[in-house]
Amino acid sequence: MQWKLFANLAEAAGKRRIDIDLSSEATVGDALAALLERHPDLEAEVLDEEGDLRDHIQLLRNGRNPFVTANGLDTDLDASDELALFPPVSGG
Amino acid sequence: MYPIGVVGPGAERLAKRLTEHLAEHGRVGVVTNRRPDGNRADSEQGTTPSADGGTAVAETRTEELDRYRTAGAASVYGLDDEGWSAIGGGMDLHDALYAMAPARDFCVVEGPIGSAEDLPLVVLGGVEASSATDVDADAAGRLVLARAPTADAIDPEEVRETLEATEPIETLESLVEGVKASPEAPQSGAIATFTGRVRAQEDAEDTPTEYLAFEKYEGVADERMAQISSELEAREGIYEVLMHHRSGRLDYGEDIVFVVVLAGHRGEAFETVEDGIDRLKAEVPIFKKEVTVDEEFWVHDRP
Repeated sequence: MQWKLFANLAEAAGKRRIDIDLSSEATVGDALAALLERHPDLEAEVLDEEGDLRDHIQLLRNGRNPFVTANGLDTDLDASDELALFPPVSGG
Repeated sequence: MYPIGVVGPGAERLAKRLTEHLAEHGRVGVVTNRRPDGNRADSEQGTTPSADGGTAVAETRTEELDRYRTAGAASVYGLDDEGWSAIGGGMDLHDALYAMAPARDFCVVEGPIGSAEDLPLVVLGGVEASSATDVDADAAGRLVLARAPTADAIDPEEVRETLEATEPIETLESLVEGVKASPEAPQSGAIATFTGRVRAQEDAEDTPTEYLAFEKYEGVADERMAQISSELEAREGIYEVLMHHRSGRLDYGEDIVFVVVLAGHRGEAFETVEDGIDRLKAEVPIFKKEVTVDEEFWVHDRP
């Protein structure tokens, strides 16, 4: 699967796109853990003190919010999935 | 309108071939250098007029239009049943592209002038001949759609397909023209528009903004905008809603975002254009970095 990072998150990781190979049973949570392991500087931006996703950080799976349309971090992943992490939107 | 620059040796030949192909798929504009470059002056412009006098007539008319310019006219149009010529001042490539955008689907920019803007390019010439452009292209992050040693090695159809996947130039006028072409336009008595632009200062004490840099989640941003538009179009009396958000660097004074609403009456037009921009700002994954004369920061960090 591939992560896409935006704005300050891409700057913290030093990359906009990150490919990660995961086992076939992997979940969104596994992909997040693998991303943070590879880019530890992201952790403070993305997780709060309790290790949960910060309220203002958005996570999308293939353009949809898995916390609304699926099982959040427990959502199963496909190898072709695109996950995205970004801060509050600020267009316009 | 999709702009495309053609540069390198043989650019003129390729630009004509591309124009011919694109004209089968839409309305094509062309921007080229007004005066021929050194190489062409000898071979083409210096020739004697053709037997039917076509060249001579065209050049004489241009000279006549030029005389009005010399007399002080800011712009001069020469019209007849077959077409028009125009001469004027104070226009750069950016202005020409944005002036053409409302009524053209493609714009071919031929020759060195194409380097003046951040256009997708077709680069002709060997490594040696095009090395300067290569370096520019990399440094400026310009998109190179195709490279070939000669004009004949380029497939116009392939170029068009890649071109149509790039970001088109949209202006307020091109979106207004777009909604006017709606099949429901006959029932519409109102068009409301919103334009967001780069502001220099919130107030007189605010540090002046130099530019904003927008990053868009390609694909998803457009999908969200289309979703918002179609939800707004489901309202009574709303016929069409178009939105466009520019990305990349936008300097102070430039336009950022447009929302255009085609409606039956002004009431629902005003209401919908406001809801459209509010939802775009709240929901569409686009990120804004502000660069002032002193510092740079992501706008979401300074609500």
